Amino acid sequence: MRLSLGRLLRIFFQSLFIQTSWSFPSMQGMGFLSDVLVGVGEDKRAEIMKTQKGLFNTHPYMVSYIVGATVRAYDEGKASAEEIKRFLSVAQASFASAGDLLFWRTLRPALLLAAVILGVHYGIIGPLTFLVVYNIFHLFHRIKGISDGYNLGWDVIYLLDKRRFKTVRQVFEAVGAVLSGLLFSLIAVEVSYLLVIPLTALFLIMLIKRYSAVMIILSVLLVVLIIGMV
Amino acid sequence: MHAILLSLLGAVIILDKYALGEFGISQPIITGAIFGAIFGDVWFGIFLGGMIQLVFLGGLPIGRDIPPDGQAAGIIAVTSYFLLRGHNTLGHSLFVAAVLGLAGGITGGVLEIYARRFNEKLYARFIDHEESLYICHTAGLLTAFGRGVCLFLPIFIFSTLFTVPGVFPQVTGQTMAIIGISLGLANSFYLFVKMKTFVYLLIGGICGLALAVF
Repeated sequence: MRLSLGRLLRIFFQSLFIQTSWSFPSMQGMGFLSDVLVGVGEDKRAEIMKTQKGLFNTHPYMVSYIVGATVRAYDEGKASAEEIKRFLSVAQASFASAGDLLFWRTLRPALLLAAVILGVHYGIIGPLTFLVVYNIFHLFHRIKGISDGYNLGWDVIYLLDKRRFKTVRQVFEAVGAVLSGLLFSLIAVEVSYLLVIPLTALFLIMLIKRYSAVMIILSVLLVVLIIGMV
Repeated sequence: MHAILLSLLGAVIILDKYALGEFGISQPIITGAIFGAIFGDVWFGIFLGGMIQLVFLGGLPIGRDIPPDGQAAGIIAVTSYFLLRGHNTLGHSLFVAAVLGLAGGITGGVLEIYARRFNEKLYARFIDHEESLYICHTAGLLTAFGRGVCLFLPIFIFSTLFTVPGVFPQVTGQTMAIIGISLGLANSFYLFVKMKTFVYLLIGGICGLALAVF
């Protein structure tokens, strides 16, 4: 069984809207349903609408793998609605965790660090580098995810053990650590060490102690106010 | 008029945060470059956007958690700075822009919760009328766009009209750099530094200091 280019492009385009109607009771439910419906034949739509209307949530870039596998299951017509639901509940949690770790926690912050360092030193090269490199990885998962999901069916979950997840994350963890050190190069903009060191320690303690993000932003506001007054 | 157009542009860009694509265009370092280019000072746009980026580097949108809106903070800080700069001193403009950006980040997070609550009504409508799936789903774009306009328009009008009193504190680019670098270091240590990556931190640190000195 093969996925035609037309169907792949339709699923890809719709997947860009996966979180458009994100709400607390269904999360990406409507987005997922819309994406699956553009991928399957007319005859399956009523059945899908009846059985797959519930909550769905995963990492937005990883949804391609799950939609690909789901469309394959409906094309084959062998699996029951219950079996598909079971697959979805396992797949959405597994891909959410892998996607969060890979993109939100590693790749994006590492590339943003690189963009800031390059941007401050060399101007527009920084933001452009981020956009190009980040979207190579982003679009790879969005597009390849659909075809891999379709080709592998429910075995798509085993891809989480592959290099595109594990190795890329390990590499960007190392890159992120190097870039953390390279942040010192921004001291070239004549910044006082005497303030950077204690403030870094203060914010690091707040992060380790898991202070809420709002609390940290409020303390930044306070620091801006104090430095401004001094 | 300027404030309205900028708000509309900001609201379109902020769709990238979650409602459309998520290509990273709404990240502060990118919006800093875009709004900096509009006002004819790309480098300062990138610098200010970059510092806001470092402040919000660790905000991870995992599961149901909605952290303060770093993307909105970037757009607000950079645009307000350029709007305020027209009729205020640079130090005053930067101080007010930083405060508006950080407060806007928190407000943006709250408004995002309201936008998503509004989406619940769209979902309820879809449950009652299955045929309206695509309309209800796509209407989420309007919710996200409306959130952006509600957030940016009052702040940009305020920035266009507000003359900062002389008694207000002033901050310089160096102050923003101190805060950005401090939180950037804290965030990146928290995210990346472990026993197995410590050697990479040292390599980066040595290279960074060499770059700063030479």
